[in-house]
Amino acid sequence: MEDSFEAYGERLASRLMVGTAAYPSPAVLADAVDASEAAVVTVGLRRTLASGGDNGFLAGLLARLTARGVRLLPNTAGCRTAAEAVSLARMTRELYGTHWVKLEVVGDEYTLQPDPWQLLEAAETLVGEGFAVFPYATDDLLLCQRLFDAGCQVLMPWGAPIGSGQGLLNPWALATLRARLPQAVLVLDAGLGSPAHAAQAMELGFDAVLLNSAIAHAGDPVGMARAFARVVAGARAGYLAGVMAPQPMAVASTPVCGQPLLVG
Amino acid sequence: MASIAIAGAGVAGRLAAWQLSRRGHRVTVFDPAPGPGAGLGGQGAAGFTAAGMLSPLAELEHAPAAIARLGLRSLEGWRQIAAALAQATGDAAAAFARFDDSLLLAHPADHGAAARVLARLALAPDIGTPEALATATLAALEPALAPGLKGWRLAGEGQVFPQRVLPALAEASHARWRWGEPVATVAPGCVVTSTGVRHGCDLAIDARGVGAGFASLRGVRGEVLWLHAPGVALGRPLRLMHARHRVYLVPRPGDVVVVGASEIESADRSPVSVRSAFELMGAAVSAMPALAEARVVHMETNLRPALPDNLPCIELADGLLRVGGLFRHGWLVAPALLEDALSGAGLN
Repeated sequence: MEDSFEAYGERLASRLMVGTAAYPSPAVLADAVDASEAAVVTVGLRRTLASGGDNGFLAGLLARLTARGVRLLPNTAGCRTAAEAVSLARMTRELYGTHWVKLEVVGDEYTLQPDPWQLLEAAETLVGEGFAVFPYATDDLLLCQRLFDAGCQVLMPWGAPIGSGQGLLNPWALATLRARLPQAVLVLDAGLGSPAHAAQAMELGFDAVLLNSAIAHAGDPVGMARAFARVVAGARAGYLAGVMAPQPMAVASTPVCGQPLLVG
Repeated sequence: MASIAIAGAGVAGRLAAWQLSRRGHRVTVFDPAPGPGAGLGGQGAAGFTAAGMLSPLAELEHAPAAIARLGLRSLEGWRQIAAALAQATGDAAAAFARFDDSLLLAHPADHGAAARVLARLALAPDIGTPEALATATLAALEPALAPGLKGWRLAGEGQVFPQRVLPALAEASHARWRWGEPVATVAPGCVVTSTGVRHGCDLAIDARGVGAGFASLRGVRGEVLWLHAPGVALGRPLRLMHARHRVYLVPRPGDVVVVGASEIESADRSPVSVRSAFELMGAAVSAMPALAEARVVHMETNLRPALPDNLPCIELADGLLRVGGLFRHGWLVAPALLEDALSGAGLN
């Protein structure tokens, strides 16, 4: 069964999105992106643009992505105010010809937690300018609701702080988002450490997951990218097939005939 | 005996010139720098900017085991080179290279980051094993460290002193040094300078770093700080395993500590950014609190020459040898890499 989803009218064949930071080399990065079969790849451009532009790293990656029809999602990582993020988004649109932007506005240095107020302000501005905004948010229901109301069709709540690998710290909040925002495309972003974490998000009914460190810091990034691709597809299939509800009492799956009932 | 023209007087070019002239070949080296001791404040060879750590095991954090093995072979190479330079100059070998181990450090709060690094190092046990140090041992080795730091010793690792080794390699070799002559083209059997002068030879060696003639070569920006810290003892290179920043502290003569280095995908040699400076200084002070009163005497940016796999490359054709893509491993792997390159070219 073909299972795809849409983000801003674009059909995406894979429910895994990956980042491009902290890989051992551009070659390993490109191989890992291929192995992940990701349809969307996010790239942080703040430091590169601040230092006078690409040294060939991005051009090489883009050539590889374009060949496979992978969509570039520039991000505003490292921005701390709405104004900074908006101006970086405008630059990336001009330089890389995409109106997609993963909006990150960090409010706390230690946790790199998104600043809800700056994030919403930047999202409203960018949506008004015709951007397709993918806001990196916390799992707060009201923040996500406001971002959705502001025109963000895709929401990217965190599972845990970026790069921490802690998995889904608050599954209840994430399940609540799914239940209360059925129209939103939900992409779990940040905090995933292992393929099991990604499976958990997919089984909660998330449309996709985005991750970077779990692959880039793995002993074998290409092998880990492949593992995530399989697990995300498998967990999505499991979600669609309908996971049975747990119950406390054991139920034998094969009927046991001719045995006397033991009363303990 | 062959006639050899080398383009580029960085670590690889000078080492090649030194080795080949010792073996009796006629060697000429071309470089844009005005002389053997000119680092050009980051505008010249990356080897002048680099810290000069000889740390094969610690580099496993981001490099494959092949790099660590080249580094391990090169440790012995640097011992011999330092001894030879000492003989040639009359200075002590320790003025060129030291082998007093290196330390990996982590703040208790960064135990996750440390565990990630140590797990990678454990993938190649044949290279070596970090030795976890007791608090008292660590304090005795490096009294200026912040209390509470966890430490691991990487036995046998060391450092070279680039500001001493680079000029000495040039001065101690019998090559002809054509300073102030940038090279435009390196082709089989000839080197053409930027003024159009063609220099014929049996073998042309392209060792121009970010300027070398490899396809897909890029420059990766790196930034370092020099701190003058009289009275703050630092006995050996340190690496801080931090969740976000990769930071090392390296002792230099004259109470100087070199702190580095950023790694930014941009071919930009403009001065050190505020962000990089405060990240590097913050990390340095967190490891050695007394550095807060050190003086920032120098900051430098340079470009690491890198190929797509971030690994060094030897390209050999008739009359042409290219050595490059040394990335962050120039000092670490140069002796072993050149040994392989020169023996491949039949220049033993």
